[in-house]
Amino acid sequence: MPGVEAVLTHAQVRGSNRQGVIRKDQPVLVDDKVRHCGDAVALVVARDQGTLAAALGLIELELEPLEPVLDMTRALEPDAPLVHEDHPTGNILLAGELVSGRGQAALADCAQVVELALELPRQEHAFLETEAGWAILTPEGTLEIVASTQTPFRDRTEVAEALGLELEQVRVSAPYLGGGFGGKDGVTVQSLLGLAALACPGRPVKMWWSREESFLAGVKRHPARLHYRLGAESDGRLRALDADLCYDTGPYDHLGGVVMTLGLEHAGGPYRIEHVRLRARAVYTNNPVSGPFRGFGVPQAAAALEQAMDLMAQRLGLDPIELRRRNLARRGQRVASGARLDCSHGLEECLQKLAGHQWWRGRGAWKAQAGPFKRRGVGVAAVMHGLGYGPVVPDVANAKIELTPQGKIRVYSGVADMGQGNASTCLQIAGQVLNQGLENMELVLPDTERTLPSGSASASRTTFTYGQALIAASGQLRRRLLERAADLLFVASATELALLPGRVRHSASGRELPLARLAALMQESERVAVGRHRAPVSQERPTADEALRLHGLPHAVFSFATQLAAVELDELTGQVELKGFVSVCDCGRLLNQQLAEQQMQGAMAQGLGYALCEDFAVAGGRVQTPDLSTYLLPTSLDAPDMDSLWVQAHEPSGPFGLKGVGEVGMDGPLPAISNAVADACGLRAQRFPLTPERVLAVLGRPWAAGGRP
Amino acid sequence: MTAVLLPSGLEELWALWEQHPTAMPYAGGTDLLVRLRKGLAQAPALICLERLKELQCIEERGPELFLGALCTHQELLEHPLLRGRLPVLAQALAVLGSPPIRHMGTLGGNLATASPAGDTLPPLYVLGAEVELCSPAGVRRLSLTDFIRGPGQVTLGPREIVGGVWVAPPSDSVRQHFEKVGLRKALAIAVVSLAALIDLTPQGVVRGARLAWGSLGPTVVRSPRAEQALLGGRLRLPELRAAADIVADEAAPIDDLRATAAYRREVAGNLLLRLAQYGGG
Ligand SMILES: Cc1cc2nc3c(=O)[nH]c(=O)nc-3n(C[C@H](O)[C@H](O)[C@H](O)COP(=O)(O)OP(=O)(O)OC[C@H]3O[C@@H](n4cnc5c(N)ncnc54)[C@H](O)[C@@H]3O)c2cc1C
Repeated sequence: MPGVEAVLTHAQVRGSNRQGVIRKDQPVLVDDKVRHCGDAVALVVARDQGTLAAALGLIELELEPLEPVLDMTRALEPDAPLVHEDHPTGNILLAGELVSGRGQAALADCAQVVELALELPRQEHAFLETEAGWAILTPEGTLEIVASTQTPFRDRTEVAEALGLELEQVRVSAPYLGGGFGGKDGVTVQSLLGLAALACPGRPVKMWWSREESFLAGVKRHPARLHYRLGAESDGRLRALDADLCYDTGPYDHLGGVVMTLGLEHAGGPYRIEHVRLRARAVYTNNPVSGPFRGFGVPQAAAALEQAMDLMAQRLGLDPIELRRRNLARRGQRVASGARLDCSHGLEECLQKLAGHQWWRGRGAWKAQAGPFKRRGVGVAAVMHGLGYGPVVPDVANAKIELTPQGKIRVYSGVADMGQGNASTCLQIAGQVLNQGLENMELVLPDTERTLPSGSASASRTTFTYGQALIAASGQLRRRLLERAADLLFVASATELALLPGRVRHSASGRELPLARLAALMQESERVAVGRHRAPVSQERPTADEALRLHGLPHAVFSFATQLAAVELDELTGQVELKGFVSVCDCGRLLNQQLAEQQMQGAMAQGLGYALCEDFAVAGGRVQTPDLSTYLLPTSLDAPDMDSLWVQAHEPSGPFGLKGVGEVGMDGPLPAISNAVADACGLRAQRFPLTPERVLAVLGRPWAAGGRP
Repeated sequence: MTAVLLPSGLEELWALWEQHPTAMPYAGGTDLLVRLRKGLAQAPALICLERLKELQCIEERGPELFLGALCTHQELLEHPLLRGRLPVLAQALAVLGSPPIRHMGTLGGNLATASPAGDTLPPLYVLGAEVELCSPAGVRRLSLTDFIRGPGQVTLGPREIVGGVWVAPPSDSVRQHFEKVGLRKALAIAVVSLAALIDLTPQGVVRGARLAWGSLGPTVVRSPRAEQALLGGRLRLPELRAAADIVADEAAPIDDLRATAAYRREVAGNLLLRLAQYGGG
């Protein structure tokens, strides 16, 4: 067909045709069987969109129908078809168990036991910018890929392997992303672009998924089924927990095992519980691919645990905040996962602040003022969230900084900025060390050729790890600049000099040396400094299971948060309106309060969608919510005023005492909202999101004296 | 490329339409462009009606109000006549779509789309509105029930457009009420909605009731039995509950992604209980 440049299938893929981080099980183009509705089978390269659409319409696909695995229950049955025949544990991608004390047996001697079963929905990232990028095969034979990605360095390796190229032949760069939230933590368009570019040497190729394509083929938050039994003494001390978490990971690993492992690690939350049995599974199905999404398995775990905590508080007649406070594992103590907490820890103070907040103290009066057919409730949740990759996979960043020949400070950032603003924070950090303002600084965004490998923009580790590397690099450059300036100014020691914006000054004599002049007198190798940082790992060994350790368990450093939701329910319709939201967070020292607040507000908005309206529905393996008119994100009108408070527990291993803030705000909203709903009506739904229909079903007909016949 | 024709008056419209007989008219495009993008409609050429000034007025004409079809929802919403005399319609417009949609979408477009979830429809039904249709042959008036024949089906002759809506505002003794149940606060298609006009005597006795539900059937749903049940009583919970039961029994809504039929049926009745607020205790 004229205008069609290439039609490609797996036959043209010269490499392994497999992508993935832990288990490489996802084809670039399907070569054995189609495993979900968004699998790519053929790739067409055309001159314009019209030709492309016409060409795609001409493709005839001959498929032999196979029996699909459409839910976790079926996947786990012994006679279920296998999603991957070669996987040693069948449809269980990964399973893990943590047992301490007498495990679930201890529930038998608890004064109180509460039980909870939950079903949580699949959530769509719905970033503003869908998966996109462009690529070109240069005359020198380099495949250059510019993509909206959180992981340029890892992508480079994956693309090279999948397409059969040498690593040096591939260059990936990641300019600012229009949102990621984990949905771009891994390959989306990259290998497809590479394949297309290889087929059309010297010509740029572009791929930009439509919203519908993004919904169809992009990864989602894992739907999950959880079952919790929590036991306590009558004085409110938690004693035993039996937790079972099941994650639908879809047909490919795509970090699903890591997501599940983080959920497992957080299954018992920030509490001391002597006897636990925590079990989690990530299960292969033929549903859409689940993968990383802000929170990474923890929102599911927190949804169950934090509701169980409220059930327990109610059972014991204890204040919900007080029950949480009493059971916190403090620094030096072990959390339920069995690992000792050694990082900075401000959760107790967070809970105290929340207990003193107007929304909590004034809740009685506020609830009493509910209008006709309205009920009001206030609920809380407390969470912790691990930072980084865990004990095995090196959580490393390499920073590079340069005094340019023009006398500017140029930061080479190796971690992508997907809108969270870490690029500004980088400049802030380097500017702080080198005493330079923005006007004297430049930034280079991640690029495997120009910047140094620094890992992913994910796991709440972006600024935490890269920031330390950058402080090291900046410190080195600072020393070098002052020493060279001391030589040039005939000053005895660099300590007599001050580094000022754009210049070096000899304080005693007032003599100054502009940075541009200094730069001109330095060689390139002197003007560049690099720094490396590897985040600390936990020495704890709560499990001997090496697979779990590889998948990230346990973590060394955690951020903490407690959140409050105030809701108003309508008895006639079941609608839940969020009236107030408070978060008190310990993510270490704040380097940029505005950016931290934006993270918290964004997480709360995403969390309120998760709790109340977002449900990426799939039936029979097909997407039922293919676009933004059927998949309902909360609008600005659905989000109430939010109050973000901070407890800044200085973390010595973080840059200037900082810990990550990207995810911790996502873990609490769903349980806080559900607890608020339960506070309002005394009942809980088992399935989420809490649509008006589900809420009305639990409410019954309180307004009808005795109910309608 | 699709040609877009932009007549600046009705005469020019008729002339252009004669030259391009297959052209499709549109106003704000908030329905049509979505359908075109999805491939649900094909338009060889488009005629944009937004410059038809004569159909953008909101006026008192005798005992009636004329609302031009080309008025945007926002223009209607901001107009004192509408707020003062037709609060039931204003309340519906206030929750239609979102601010951008209300600035683009028009009354005529909402009528011509004839969606079961069209938010202006239940209010216009209870108000007994009539639709004015314009064509080169002249102007005619149809009752709303004659105009809307089914979901997405309206009575429009060849080269005929909706010119506007005629409404006689209810008297001051009539309480006007609208509520929409959606799954979020904006950009929410009605799961079920209720428009009600309740005429009360000074003593608070119901002497007239007009009720209409959106998203409860293929077109707007009325319930003469429920209306009848309210007559002569007061707006108190027992009376309202009796009417609610009638509606819940009569209604035959559908299941869809947003809600089940059972939920719609129940809430259609429940929404009547909200009228207790006008009962004065
Ligand atoms: C995001 C979004 C949210 C929405 N939310 C709502 C909502 O909450 N409630 C709701 O009711 N609707 C909603 N809609 C639908 C739509 O906005 C409304 O129905 C609007 O009133 C349509 O008006 P329009 O002028 O944009 O129609 P257009 O798209 O211009 O036209 C729609 C149809 O009507 C015909 N038409 C338009 N004007 C005339 C006329 N004067 N005479 C004859 N035929 C005409 C066109 O030929 C076309 O077939 C929403 C739409 C979108 C995209």
